[in-house]
Amino acid sequence: MQLRDYIIRRLIALPILLLGVSIIVFSLTRIAGSPVGVYLSHEMSQEEVLQIEQRYNLDKPLPVQYAYWLRGVFQGDFGWSGVASAPVAEVFPAKFAATMELSVAAAVVAVALGLWLGTYAGVRRNKMPDHITRIVAVSGASLPLFWFGIVLLIVFWANLGWFPVGRSTNDIWESIAHPTGFYTIDAILAGSWTALMDALWHLVLPSITLGFGAVAIIARMMRSSLIEELQQDYVDAARAKGLPERLVLKRHARRNALVPTVTVIGLTIAFLMQGAIAAEIIFRWPGLGRWMASAVVRGDQATIMTYVLFTSVLFLVANLIVDIIYAKLDPRVRLGD
Amino acid sequence: MSKGETLDSARWAAALAAGLILAVPATAQDARDTIVHGADEEPATLDPAQVEPGAGGEAVIFHVYDRLLAVGPGSAELLPSLATQVPTRDNGLISEDGLTYTFPLREGVTFHDGTAFTADDVKYSWDRVIEMDLPESASDILSDKIAETRVVDDYTFEVTLNEVDASFLYSSVLPMTASIVSQDAVEANGGVVAGEPNEYMSDTPVGTGPYRLTTWNRTENLTLEVNDDYWGDMAFDHVRWEFGLDPDVRVLGLRAGEFDTVETDPSYVADLEGAEGVIIYSEGLLLEPLHIGFNLNIPEGALPEGDTIPLDFFHDVRIRKAFNHAFDYNAFINGALAGFGQVNPHYVPIGVFGYDPDAPIYDTQDLAEAERLFREAGVWDEGFTVSVVVESGSLFEIQCLILKDSIESLNPNFRINVAGVAEAVFDEALSQNPVEYAMWAKNGDPAADPSAYLETYSHPDGEWGEVHGFANGYADPGAVGALIDAIAEELDATVRAGMIAEAQQVLYDDPMWLIGAQEGAVTAYRDWISGMVIQPLWPRPSMNFALYDKAQ
Repeated sequence: MQLRDYIIRRLIALPILLLGVSIIVFSLTRIAGSPVGVYLSHEMSQEEVLQIEQRYNLDKPLPVQYAYWLRGVFQGDFGWSGVASAPVAEVFPAKFAATMELSVAAAVVAVALGLWLGTYAGVRRNKMPDHITRIVAVSGASLPLFWFGIVLLIVFWANLGWFPVGRSTNDIWESIAHPTGFYTIDAILAGSWTALMDALWHLVLPSITLGFGAVAIIARMMRSSLIEELQQDYVDAARAKGLPERLVLKRHARRNALVPTVTVIGLTIAFLMQGAIAAEIIFRWPGLGRWMASAVVRGDQATIMTYVLFTSVLFLVANLIVDIIYAKLDPRVRLGD
Repeated sequence: MSKGETLDSARWAAALAAGLILAVPATAQDARDTIVHGADEEPATLDPAQVEPGAGGEAVIFHVYDRLLAVGPGSAELLPSLATQVPTRDNGLISEDGLTYTFPLREGVTFHDGTAFTADDVKYSWDRVIEMDLPESASDILSDKIAETRVVDDYTFEVTLNEVDASFLYSSVLPMTASIVSQDAVEANGGVVAGEPNEYMSDTPVGTGPYRLTTWNRTENLTLEVNDDYWGDMAFDHVRWEFGLDPDVRVLGLRAGEFDTVETDPSYVADLEGAEGVIIYSEGLLLEPLHIGFNLNIPEGALPEGDTIPLDFFHDVRIRKAFNHAFDYNAFINGALAGFGQVNPHYVPIGVFGYDPDAPIYDTQDLAEAERLFREAGVWDEGFTVSVVVESGSLFEIQCLILKDSIESLNPNFRINVAGVAEAVFDEALSQNPVEYAMWAKNGDPAADPSAYLETYSHPDGEWGEVHGFANGYADPGAVGALIDAIAEELDATVRAGMIAEAQQVLYDDPMWLIGAQEGAVTAYRDWISGMVIQPLWPRPSMNFALYDKAQ
């Protein structure tokens, strides 16, 4: 199947899949109980509870409630967030931008460091650098993110005061416009070096925390793949032809080693967004994760439904992109077969 | 990877690090004139007609709006605010029949939008609350009491009550619901619609207060700027509330100097004591008794599986008294509250008018007396299992666990199941009538007048009296109701105090709650803040940032 046809087929299936996911999640959240609780106080009378239910159409039958919700989605109205005390649609873009910025920063850390470490270890197999890399990889995979983050917080923020917590210094944040919601990009657009540095400085601790676990996974995958490639006949042939070792590595072995690694990278980046919840809570990062943690605890179903819908779209699109990259890297891959 | 490539990578990393480090000093001077406060709860709304009593929004409303009267630090005495005098019988501003209150108003006051404050705004503000009558609000503090509001002239406002009410000034004029809004601003932005919130007013306060709201980033922070046109004493610094913070992160942030003040509770005092530059301040007690309710109105088949008590279990006063005697108050106050707490009488909090320090209280565990009462009630040999529902992860849950330990230590046949649930589930469970649990734990809503507590938590026909069926348990519900009604109507302070003292004795003999303690009002702040003072009658966190000066 041609790549173009494959993409079209996947895009057509996307809304159908999303509809199915939304029905399942809507039903599951309602099984957990009425969403009215997040809008109540414990001293409300039954009459007052009924007024609240009528305000949010929660007094209607379930299929009617779902229809109201779906209609709202098409109109850009995702309901009222009891946690944020604002329409979900109003709060979501800024939160999404914050989480994406953190996830991208963590991904940059994870991919750059992971590929570099994996390559470094792969060409020095069973030597000291390889062993050290293995220790880093195991610790990255083993250390609970929450614990690691709190240790960084205590050492580098609370005690040393080297790094800040949160996303920005308030005065600097207020000094520039935020057309995209991505602090780094907005700082560049505003031409503010101070704001850019402020953005990057605030990203250091949470992105290291979030990305460290992924570094381990990517480094190990890259190392294993590279070792396997370096043992292939074409590498021996390239060396026999007199090609410098760095070119053998850069143009041949590493490129082929990237094929399986890219798959892992794709999955890892998707999971970074989920792992962002813990990092956001620890570092007071105003993203989706922290908002979602509060929403789950407090039963804010409007927020939960929007998040699930959004992450479903993200996962489906991410998988599609990975499949396309995979096909591009390896022409032997047949799509849709 | 070659050595050359490794060196190139190292150079790039060093350059980036140098850039970041050089940028840090440029950011270190910020927030010098802004008090940064680590808050516990973000407002749901800033509309006085919508705000829930005790919710986070009241603290912000307190700073951006004024009311006709106020209380200052250190005393519960009412002070003039937008009204220039406190109505009394002596100054003639309360009519002879006690039904009409006249408020002379302050001239030359402007709202944040520049419009002039007049009596029309007062009438509009109060009428608006009554007409909107939102279920989450405290509209009943006005709608249940007021017969008519009147504009006498531009600077004289009058209100006539349905009946004589000694608590009117504290219960209806002082609370945040009675804040004065700009009529022009409301009318230009959605007006008043019965039963419907006003979205504009929810996040755009236009008041006369010492602060004005400048930004509100949902789930992140909220900034108040000093109102340079304020009619009263100008605030020293701006304020920024930071939200969504884990309590541990708040404490760390205070120690790191990122926050100037934080909301905390007594359990964190140990983490802060001795920390460099941190001062722990405690003054008085919060007016929110931590209580456990007894349900005397349990519906058939409603109790959780495993509960073995009969539906009329708590009708027996001996059972209720036995629970009160069995509770380990010392463990709760000195453990969970780190010593910052005190038990109050039923049901008048310490610090509220009429509190009688000589009133009998349940403040000492007496297991022998509890056993005697349980035996006399006939439940000793068979035992019982009962569930208490509570918000999980809260101070209230700790109170329930202490109750569990206390009761189960008496008799192996006694069992308390602590059903910790999410806040939303708890709120929904308690909104049912009748409640489908035998016991539940929470804190009372703060109020400035004893009648608010007595009517809500003790009157057989009051809010909880009706839901919990107090009439099924009181020895003489009619007498209790009549006494509480009389307290509400008595305008002579001395006579009223005597009646409230009597009520505390009556309610001790016939308790409808188990009161664990009143939590101490505790806050922590950096030593570069001067003027720190807290007042439990101010909305939680009981702070007034207009009085604090940051000199970092």
